[in-house]
Amino acid sequence: MATTTTSPPPQPQSSSSSPSFPFPREYFFPAFFTRQTNITIHHAQLTKWSALILAYARHHRLFRITISAAAESDLFFNRGIDRRLSPPDIREVLDFMRKDGRAEFLRPDGAADAASAAAAAAGGDVVFLYWRKPEEWAALVEAFVEETAQKGSVLTVYELTEGENTRGTEFHGMDNQVLMKALNILVKRGKAQIFGSEDSLGVKFF
Amino acid sequence: MSRKGVGIAAFDRSRITSRQFASHGSSLRATNAQALETQLAVFRSLLQQFAQTHAKDIRSDPSFRAQFARMCSAIGVDPLASSNNHSSGSGTSVWAQLLGKTVNDFYFELAVRIVEVCGATRAENGGLIGLSELRERVSKGRMEGADSISDDDVRRAVETLKPLGSYAVVTVGRKEYVRSVPRELSTDQAAVVEAAQVLGYVSVGMLRDNLGWDEARCKTVIDDLMAGGMLWVDKQTKGEWEYWSPGVMADAGTDGEAGV
Repeated sequence: MATTTTSPPPQPQSSSSSPSFPFPREYFFPAFFTRQTNITIHHAQLTKWSALILAYARHHRLFRITISAAAESDLFFNRGIDRRLSPPDIREVLDFMRKDGRAEFLRPDGAADAASAAAAAAGGDVVFLYWRKPEEWAALVEAFVEETAQKGSVLTVYELTEGENTRGTEFHGMDNQVLMKALNILVKRGKAQIFGSEDSLGVKFF
Repeated sequence: MSRKGVGIAAFDRSRITSRQFASHGSSLRATNAQALETQLAVFRSLLQQFAQTHAKDIRSDPSFRAQFARMCSAIGVDPLASSNNHSSGSGTSVWAQLLGKTVNDFYFELAVRIVEVCGATRAENGGLIGLSELRERVSKGRMEGADSISDDDVRRAVETLKPLGSYAVVTVGRKEYVRSVPRELSTDQAAVVEAAQVLGYVSVGMLRDNLGWDEARCKTVIDDLMAGGMLWVDKQTKGEWEYWSPGVMADAGTDGEAGV
């Protein structure tokens, strides 16, 4: 290959306009879809799946998946080679990601403490995928507020995700629940205050 | 030979002649060695000249580098061997002397990358990685307009890792691998690894039919390789389970594999 001294070509990733996700090589490896028995390999397998899921979610801007539905999607079902990752195995990968802070099982309302997280992990069907962790989203929102000089002003949650002003930012159109997690982090740090009721939440940034 | 010289003086004479032969021989040997030495010196300076004029090509063109290395080894100069373990203890290799370290460093840097890639992939392939796959991964890691790498370079770089013990290039069947664990493949294991090159996988039935082994033997070898991390099981087959070589993972995605 000729030496390329020019600037690196821009990566097409995360430009959600391109619909086809470039699957990695392991996606075409039949045994990748069977839970490996060797512990070392299994760990490597989980790591690879985790990377694949996050890349896939980032590409399609998926903030949450429903395990039963996702099991039928091309993420976990490679129809080309007729191999699929079974729901229990998917769950295991997601649990692996949860320990890494890259996924979170949606808890039933009310059970909001960490102790029940494991219990929810066993049963929950909806999972948040953190290709950006809530802290990272919080940082993005904070930077946006800083940049647009909106400290001290009040923004609605709707404005943040759907408003004209946030068009072009990473969090435009993001999942409300994930955004709330991010905003709550800012609240804890004393950087924001949330008020209002369920459907018309407002945020004030400091 | 005539029968004269039976007298006592004959002993003396024979002693003298043998001494003369010996001294003549040693002087011949000396001149021979001297001639060889000058030849070598001339050759060395020529090689040096050659290496200097073509240093750029040697560094940038992998096939040229390979040819040069092959030429060196053909004439018995190991360009990579650091001479401090040989008699002429100057401490640097021929590469380093000839090219001001750059080629030498090239291989050492490459070796470092190889160690990195082997370490990163060991969990998925059990420490056995295809030579060309390794090359591909190493080249992918070095972007900033770096020169391309050939299989030959990888082979040489792995050679420099020999003192570490566990690194070696092994040939199984018609494919070369770099082994980064201190574990030798048994004959049976090598046979299975080789069999897996054909379709990318093996199965108990396949081994039984092709190698004529009984089922227990097939299972044992497969289990051993699985335990070593060198095979991945695929249970979603229509029939019996298939055991895949993780090297396939590398080959499947990209086309245009430059097979050497």
